[in-house]
Amino acid sequence: MPSLSAPQILRALASRNLASRSILLHSRRYTEAAIEPPPAGGHSPTIAHSPILRTTRDSALKTPGIVWGSDADHEDGDKTGRDTRKMNMYQAVRDAMSTALANDESAVVFGEDVAFGGVFRCSMGLSEEFGRERVFNTPLTEQGIVGFGIGLASMGHTAIAEIQFSDYIYPAFDQIVNEAAKFRYRSGGNFNVGGLTIRTPSMTVGHGGLYHSQSPEGFFMGAAGLKIVVPRSPIQAKGLLLSSIQDRNPVIFLEPKILYRSSVEQVPTSSYTIPLSKAEILTPGTDLTVLSYGTPLYTARTAMSYLAEPPASIEHLVPKPLRSAKIELIDLRTIMPWDVKTVVESVNKTGRLVVVHEAGKIGGVGSEIASTVTEKCFLKLQAPVKRVTGWDTPVALAYEKFYTPDAIRILDAMVETLTY
Amino acid sequence: MLSLRTIRARSWRSIPLARTIATSETSAPHSPPQRHGFLPGAPASAITTKLHFFNSVLEQSQIPTYRVLDGSGNIVEGAVEPEIDEAFARRLYHTMNLLPVLDTLLYNVQRQGKISFYMTTHGEEASVVGSAAALGSRDEVLGQYREMGVLLWRDYPLSSVMGQCFSNENDDSTKGRQMPVHFGSPEHHFHTISSPLATQIPQAAGVAYALKRDTERRGKDCAICYFGEGAASEGDFHAGLGMASVLGGPLIFFCRNNGFAISTPTTDQYAGDGIAARGPAYGMDTVRVDGNDVLAVLGAVREARRRAVTGGKAVLVEAMTYRVGHHSTSDDSYAYRARQEVEDWKKIDNPLHRMRRYLETKGWWDAAAEEALKDSQKKIVMEAFRAAENTPKPVLDNIFTDVWDEMPWILKEQKEELREILRKYGDVWEPYKTERVKFRGNGVLEP
Repeated sequence: MPSLSAPQILRALASRNLASRSILLHSRRYTEAAIEPPPAGGHSPTIAHSPILRTTRDSALKTPGIVWGSDADHEDGDKTGRDTRKMNMYQAVRDAMSTALANDESAVVFGEDVAFGGVFRCSMGLSEEFGRERVFNTPLTEQGIVGFGIGLASMGHTAIAEIQFSDYIYPAFDQIVNEAAKFRYRSGGNFNVGGLTIRTPSMTVGHGGLYHSQSPEGFFMGAAGLKIVVPRSPIQAKGLLLSSIQDRNPVIFLEPKILYRSSVEQVPTSSYTIPLSKAEILTPGTDLTVLSYGTPLYTARTAMSYLAEPPASIEHLVPKPLRSAKIELIDLRTIMPWDVKTVVESVNKTGRLVVVHEAGKIGGVGSEIASTVTEKCFLKLQAPVKRVTGWDTPVALAYEKFYTPDAIRILDAMVETLTY
Repeated sequence: MLSLRTIRARSWRSIPLARTIATSETSAPHSPPQRHGFLPGAPASAITTKLHFFNSVLEQSQIPTYRVLDGSGNIVEGAVEPEIDEAFARRLYHTMNLLPVLDTLLYNVQRQGKISFYMTTHGEEASVVGSAAALGSRDEVLGQYREMGVLLWRDYPLSSVMGQCFSNENDDSTKGRQMPVHFGSPEHHFHTISSPLATQIPQAAGVAYALKRDTERRGKDCAICYFGEGAASEGDFHAGLGMASVLGGPLIFFCRNNGFAISTPTTDQYAGDGIAARGPAYGMDTVRVDGNDVLAVLGAVREARRRAVTGGKAVLVEAMTYRVGHHSTSDDSYAYRARQEVEDWKKIDNPLHRMRRYLETKGWWDAAAEEALKDSQKKIVMEAFRAAENTPKPVLDNIFTDVWDEMPWILKEQKEELREILRKYGDVWEPYKTERVKFRGNGVLEP
């Protein structure tokens, strides 16, 4: 399990109380001394060496679906001359925001503690580079942050708001659901907040307990008018975040916080986007579709390797004929509006579907996808759609290992579905 | 004596020591007494040995109310009239009078079931129109719902007022999607009203910040955010004032304190000195004004605007008034207040009467002018009403558009589902049949 360093725990957890000011002072000293703080989410070996990460320049430049920005050096569309740089996910997020700030004078970045670089380092150096008028701290009020962002966006500005943890997005629920989501519709198209993007760290981190672990995407899925996006890696984070910022709808951008440091890729340094509402097939297959987003994609990849080559201790639980099964792994990427076409095509081909997410099962994303797939693929389905999710409990600190869908639970779901 | 810079340079660990010195409760300090403490939360706070709790902005009294016109429309002794010429004064009075004409008609029309809902401005004409008249025509307005007078001051067409309330195809505010009185018009810099209370308050902070960042508009335009004293109890009030005071941007917070939030009197709403007392807590220039005195409101908001625009900051105005009308057409206010109390307010402190008396004193108004105005306003309002009654609702397709910028597959599928339902049942099921003919194109969905 990854572990947080002491300063990171302080920064992440204590920032919720009055001690946040002292942390701010400490952190400023870090910045001034140019000391790289210790790792946030630690390094999960599962993630660091996952084959779904693109760790060479060549593979990074061949990222499927990538749309290059219009920088002058590459007007001919030649990809080979482009640079890449090794980045983890927080650096890629920072790179995306830096690109947005550089290309759009109206763009601003704000939230709690973003000026010194953010408690997860996503805005490091941005206030020094672009000025405190464009990258600034706000008072500690989530409803205020989102309301403020709506106001800015309604004036045609680009507002990139940060909610420190997605667990703390609920005070802004009214502003997001009743205001941002309905802004264009209720004004007959006269006003919109398309320039608003709400970034927020989400999902479990190993020891976040109830309020540093949540995956709230299901709560927002029914708020028509919003887009919800979850990246899986640095390349994806940069491209999807730039798409979200440019998109003419309010977007909630959920960043799996355990990936901030543990996922590392070669990320193209020039401007590019990755389209929203487009799922990506990570590994093609014909026997079973596994659909997920964010952190569990890595776990699913591990589960797939266990299926092919089970560790000795569980070998007897994985029937031999299943070991050659071809699993199609799909990254949904955009939760709303989601890519029904890719998912339905896949399930029509494989006849089987397992959906994996960290949020609880009831009212979760998996419920929506399972019912739609049942409607659209009824005659092709050879097994019930299976959902591997967090339990319908809060995320309890000491029990996280048994809460989060791990490789064994995903493996078991694959076996159960394949042998149905 | 430590300078502020020295204090800030101190490490956080020295603070407990500082606290000991500041309170002098444990041991006598060896250093000479400090004139100021140096806690970062209040660096200029003087150190005192006197234990003193306080509970109001002004000791032993409430914040005073700024007034220019007395109850009979005479200039109060010592008051300075805001700069106002005859044409401007008459326009003020015209607009103030148009409000009750529209209100009375639309209130009655709702009672007849011709529109679904309505909210009047009775009693608050001076607050709403007086503040509107103090603004620049491009100042951004974020309202609650009882601010139609601002739109009328800005010559919003009566066809649009009626169109919105009748949900017909002249509802250029909402395309028939929102309840009546939820107006909006980018052309008039009037942000579309929404029902959730106080949500516009932090949004106004963002709008003001946008104005501050816009080089074309900085130093020229401001935002104004209206809300009632009830809405000021919402968390978004605190969020909005906090954001605006720290982040800056030209903004006027304008509170209509009319004594009631539906049935709740202010005594059940707050225990402090109204809303104005909260302004200084956020470091905001604040004024309380007689909201039934249009000249006082005009003068106060002009000065608030000057401070907001030149200072690039937020200013708070609390206008004290009285909600003469019911909360809405869904409310009978005599269930919680005496009819006589309301009647008394109409007579004793009527903003329209006060303005009329002022105009007469100036020699700018007389009985004939009054009668002519009443006739002409009734006529144009009736014409707009009759036209609205016969205007169809927008095309039915509007149910699915503008949710996102482009219609996703989800809504395309649902639109097809509705089309199929209407194909099967639309001509034979009476409730569908009678409803769809009210829409432009007989409620047929476009492909």
